[in-house]
Amino acid sequence: MRQLLEGLRVIELSNNVAGPFTGKLLAEYGANVIKIEPREGDPARHEGPYKDGIPNIETSLLFLHLNTNKKSITLNFESKNAVNIIKKFIEKTDIVIESFPPGQMENWDLSYETLAKDHENLIMASITPFGQSGPWKDYKASEIVLQALGGPLHANGSPFREPIKSGGNIAQYHAGIATAFACIAARLRIVRGGRGDHIDQAIYEAQAGFRDRRTAFTTGTSYTGHVAKRQPPGARPASGPRMTADGYANIFASGSRRFPAALDLIGRSDLKDHPDAKKQPHLFSQEFAAELEGSWMKWLISRDKKTAVAETQKIGLLGGAIYTTKDLVEDEHYKSRDVWDNIDHPVAGSADYTGRQILLSEISRKKPLHAPLLGESNNEIYAEIGFTKKDIAEMKTKEII
Amino acid sequence: MTTGNFLPLDGYRVAEITVVWAGPHVTQLLGEWGAEVIRVEPTTTIQPYSRGAERIMNKTDQANIAKLGILAGGINPDTTPGADPWNRNSSFNSHSRNKKSMSCDIMTPEGREAFLRLIKKVDVLVENNVPTTIERANITYEQLKKINPKLIMLRMPAFGLSGPYKNYRAFGTHVEGMIGHHWLRGYPDGTPDETGDAFTADALAGVMGAFAVTSALIHREITGIGQQIEMPLAESFLPALGEWILDYTMNNRVADPQGNLHREHAPHSIYPTQGEDSWIAIDCATDEEFISLCIVLNAHDLLEDERFKSLDKRKLYEQELNEALAQYTQRWNNDELFHSLQSASVCAGAVHNEKKLLESPQLSARSFFEELEIKGVGTHIYPGIMTKWKHTPNQIRSSPPKLGEHNKEIYIQFLGYTEEEYNELINKGLVGTDYSEEVVPRNWI
Repeated sequence: MRQLLEGLRVIELSNNVAGPFTGKLLAEYGANVIKIEPREGDPARHEGPYKDGIPNIETSLLFLHLNTNKKSITLNFESKNAVNIIKKFIEKTDIVIESFPPGQMENWDLSYETLAKDHENLIMASITPFGQSGPWKDYKASEIVLQALGGPLHANGSPFREPIKSGGNIAQYHAGIATAFACIAARLRIVRGGRGDHIDQAIYEAQAGFRDRRTAFTTGTSYTGHVAKRQPPGARPASGPRMTADGYANIFASGSRRFPAALDLIGRSDLKDHPDAKKQPHLFSQEFAAELEGSWMKWLISRDKKTAVAETQKIGLLGGAIYTTKDLVEDEHYKSRDVWDNIDHPVAGSADYTGRQILLSEISRKKPLHAPLLGESNNEIYAEIGFTKKDIAEMKTKEII
Repeated sequence: MTTGNFLPLDGYRVAEITVVWAGPHVTQLLGEWGAEVIRVEPTTTIQPYSRGAERIMNKTDQANIAKLGILAGGINPDTTPGADPWNRNSSFNSHSRNKKSMSCDIMTPEGREAFLRLIKKVDVLVENNVPTTIERANITYEQLKKINPKLIMLRMPAFGLSGPYKNYRAFGTHVEGMIGHHWLRGYPDGTPDETGDAFTADALAGVMGAFAVTSALIHREITGIGQQIEMPLAESFLPALGEWILDYTMNNRVADPQGNLHREHAPHSIYPTQGEDSWIAIDCATDEEFISLCIVLNAHDLLEDERFKSLDKRKLYEQELNEALAQYTQRWNNDELFHSLQSASVCAGAVHNEKKLLESPQLSARSFFEELEIKGVGTHIYPGIMTKWKHTPNQIRSSPPKLGEHNKEIYIQFLGYTEEEYNELINKGLVGTDYSEEVVPRNWI
């Protein structure tokens, strides 16, 4: 059975996280993704951590992760021919992903309107911090700045200290997926007889539309005039992250219809008849809260996090253990579902990578390919768009590729 | 450029049996881009954490939690529950635009009949229940494909349709614990209980689910086949932590909580500014940015300080640097400092709560927010659509549906029920626009 996106041709003129993640998703599900890198490579190649901590453009973990299943060619964007070469690629491509500062593509005479003139099925996705228009379009941004302005950062953490960002590059990954959705939706329109489009994805706007609380909070503010606030640790008795014998678990014991069963489980059936037992946790009286919290913490601290979760799942409570990356990779559940891809890379060696997000009933997954070496496919791909061996050798001497 | 620019999912029908946040977010996105979305929801029982019906609070309690800033669970306009709070819940109304509501309890024989009739006529079904629920209702893909072989069914359990945690019940915040995100996003010098609920898993699963369904639709257009897509919340999140996981599998290094730290940049944190709970994010990757930062802040002593002369040194003395910078930043209004720093090419941004977000000149210039007048709810501003297509103007097409609002249209016109059959379902209490008092006691009035 053909892969979901088999036959799609994609050019990735994008670096760092968001655009390459869009490209990775398209490649993972079958598209042919060619990554055009500057001669020194995607900046992600120059960002640690590296395999064994030794800087090497082929072993940046971020790059290795974000670029599986893609092909890499190099191109000196400053060279005289670069624009024509890019145009040649785009003639033969379905989707272009780019993340240059707004206006750069236009300056190179590579605006969507120019490119689509003779190629009305072209889809171009521009992923930038603030979008192609508006007073902030030329502002600088990075992960922490985008989360601060656009996302729910102000509500993350403790009210007794500074708010904190969500982990890693979440805002950029999220915008990368949103862009992949937009690209494929635009492609679906073409398959159904419509035409291409220029997708303008601002990471800031993806954060403003972020379902991690932000849209719910904003609507709540719109309804009441109040804003979300960081909640103190332990704000809800017997619900939320707590210490266990070997770490932490986040279990919601109070606040649901299964609360009485939770009281039975921790040996406090006597509290079931208390008038507070039917209330929402933040409305508990101090006495009830203290009684409950004391017993709950005692129960948790005498169990491992996985055991506490397993026992409370049995009575239908919502919950999960708070894992480190080690806990995660060693966990039997994920192993049993075969979520790790063992990939061998010519320089970085073999390791387990995160792989698929989805399992399909009708399509078996293709074997994942390692992230490409810098310019690994120069000869093959440049030949495909009509350059001879001699041309390619010449472009190499002239430092165009 | 007007022809050919129809909404890409126009003409597709999507049914959903979804709870909480992740499933409804997928259908929100499909609906925004043109699909007709039909929300299958019972009135005979409460659909968990959807319309807030399991925890309706009176006005005083709502006013109290609003003041405390507890808004994730949803709240009613002016903190007033009114007679039908489930139609006026902020959390529900933030995702359910462009959807229709059909009341149907799939656990009853009548509800099952209606649901199966619906399945024959839709392209996509989205569900995010505990797997055992779908099995008990006997509506697995194996069953439904007999009725509609071209159906695309997206299943979004927390941990999967197999494995030891198959039937674990979890919100996004529990899933993020089980994949390492909660740990990673903690304070480096703190404990995980200082970082409470986050629903990052729902946000990522939403866009990922929309991508998966749309990809399967393209595939179906070409091959003619439908299929089941299994997308556990946990697994759709994992690749967003890929580099941290590789650091363990390749280097055997277990990531510590990162908080506001960056691996290489310093300064890189959230700094206090003038006013209560006012902050700014600053991220300096280079010497040039650091110098510009100090000039804007008038912090010339920091420029002279040997400890802060290079990026490596600033990283080494990061704590001292952050403390010193805070002395300067707290004299500023965060928005003024944000724009001053950007004018000096320093990467910075004010920490904006929702009031500030609603006032953002950037979002306003790009017409992100939309005003909707909803009968019985009032006129309010809602977050709009998170992606712009240059040649395909798009906005919210219809307001969030009230419970069972589209019953008649769906049962009679779409599914072919006669008036008598339809009225019988109403008389049996299986179809309606209200929860009975047994299901939702009116104890808030």
